[in-house]
This record gives sequence, structure tokens and C-alpha cells, in this order.
Amino acid sequence: MTTTRPYPTLAVGRFDLSGTRDDHVRRMSGAPARTDARAHPIFAFVGALGGLPLPIKDLSTSLGLDFDAGPVLARCRIAVARPLLVDRVYTVTPQIDRIERKPSRRYGHADHLHLEIALDDDTPFTTIALHIIFPAEEAAT
Amino acid sequence: MTRSDTPFGPVSGPDMADWCALLNDDNQIHLTREAAEAAGFGPHRVNPGPANLAYLMSALMADDPDREITAVDARFVGNVLEDDHLVARTDGDEATLLRDGAPVVTATFTFGEPE
Repeated sequence: MTTTRPYPTLAVGRFDLSGTRDDHVRRMSGAPARTDARAHPIFAFVGALGGLPLPIKDLSTSLGLDFDAGPVLARCRIAVARPLLVDRVYTVTPQIDRIERKPSRRYGHADHLHLEIALDDDTPFTTIALHIIFPAEEAAT
Repeated sequence: MTRSDTPFGPVSGPDMADWCALLNDDNQIHLTREAAEAAGFGPHRVNPGPANLAYLMSALMADDPDREITAVDARFVGNVLEDDHLVARTDGDEATLLRDGAPVVTATFTFGEPE
């Protein structure tokens, strides 16, 4: 069942993709060293969450989702229009696609948040579609 | 492209704090062993999901630095804990992150010229 309520417009944020941050992510993930201005592709995800104007916990809570119950990242789909580049600041635009409350074998019921976040710099760079599952106590009314 | 296995680990607990800082995520299961244990993970911090996907991407980049990732569809089917040893298995456009032989992330990648 899809919750039929108007979703709020989410504030736009910014993400500073510095060369230092890229170097650090490459070291932590075992990536080859950067050879040009292209950043590690995980920044489509890191910049999306890291550039939100508020932490994902606060965003979730503001939507009525129970972050403290232990959300589970289920799936992400990333589309790259052009590679993200280091030493640029990107505009981060989140949008709620939908929130669904469904029966769950694991939790009884669960809220499914489908959130899309785009990174652009006047022109589009990346879009990520996130599916995050939050345990919920009862069926939607 | 033939199948390739890239070992990774041990997964660093302190790195989890750095990932969380980048992600602006203060979920305590990534930051303290006490919170992880209270959530049923035992006394081991839980790696943030994006870090697990990054390991797969990095393995693909090491396999062929000239390939450009233009799309990813990743499913997160298990957890990675601190001190884990992992294997990033890549096979063409498919990649799987394995923990003790079991998948924790499965992903399909598309390569080519960005649109």
C-alpha cells in the first residue's frame, strides 16, 4: 500500500568534492590513485547523502520514519550523465519518490522510502535512487 | 572480461567514522561497538553500505582503469563488520562483494560513454 500524502519539498544542499576527499575515499576503498580530474564514482552516493542540508537520520525522522528502529539500505541505482570531477562544488537536490508501508516478514510492517538525489553543476552529473527500509510498528491506516 | 577476485580487508573500524563524516550519517551502529551490539551485531561496528559498494567499484577500476561506469544497480543483502575480510568478485558487468563466501552486495554495472 502506498501512503497517499503529499510529500514535502526538500531543501537543496551542496557538496564540496575536494581532491583531498577523493584521495581519502580511494585509500579507504582500495581504489587506484586518481590520474585526472575524475572522482571516484562512489561520490554519486557519498555526495548525495553528504550534501543533504540535514543528516539522513533527521530527514527520515522529519518524514515520520523510525530511524532509531534500525533502517536497512536495500538498493541503490546510480545514473551517471558525466563523471564527477574533483575540486568542484555540486548542488544536491533531493526528492521523495514515494513512501510505502508494507507487511514485512522480518519486522511485521515496514516503511519503504524511495528517495532520489541529483548532483549537478548547472548541468546534470549523477542521480541516485535509494530504497531504504524502516521497521514500522503497525499497518498504515 | 574474465572473473576476478580482489581481496579486501580487514575492514577498518576507524575508517567507518570517516565514511560517516563524509555521508553526514551519525547512525551509531557504524560508530560504537556498544550500539552495534545493542542492535544485534555483536561487538563489531557495522560498515556503512556505501563503503561496501565503493569496494566493488574500486575493484572494477583496478581491473580496467579506462572503463567508465555510467550506471549501477546495487542490492545490499548483508552486512559487513569491522575486521571482516572480503572478496570483491567481478565478472563482466556483474560484481559481488563476498563475506565468508556469502554475498553482501550484488551489483550490475553499465560501462561506456556517459550520455
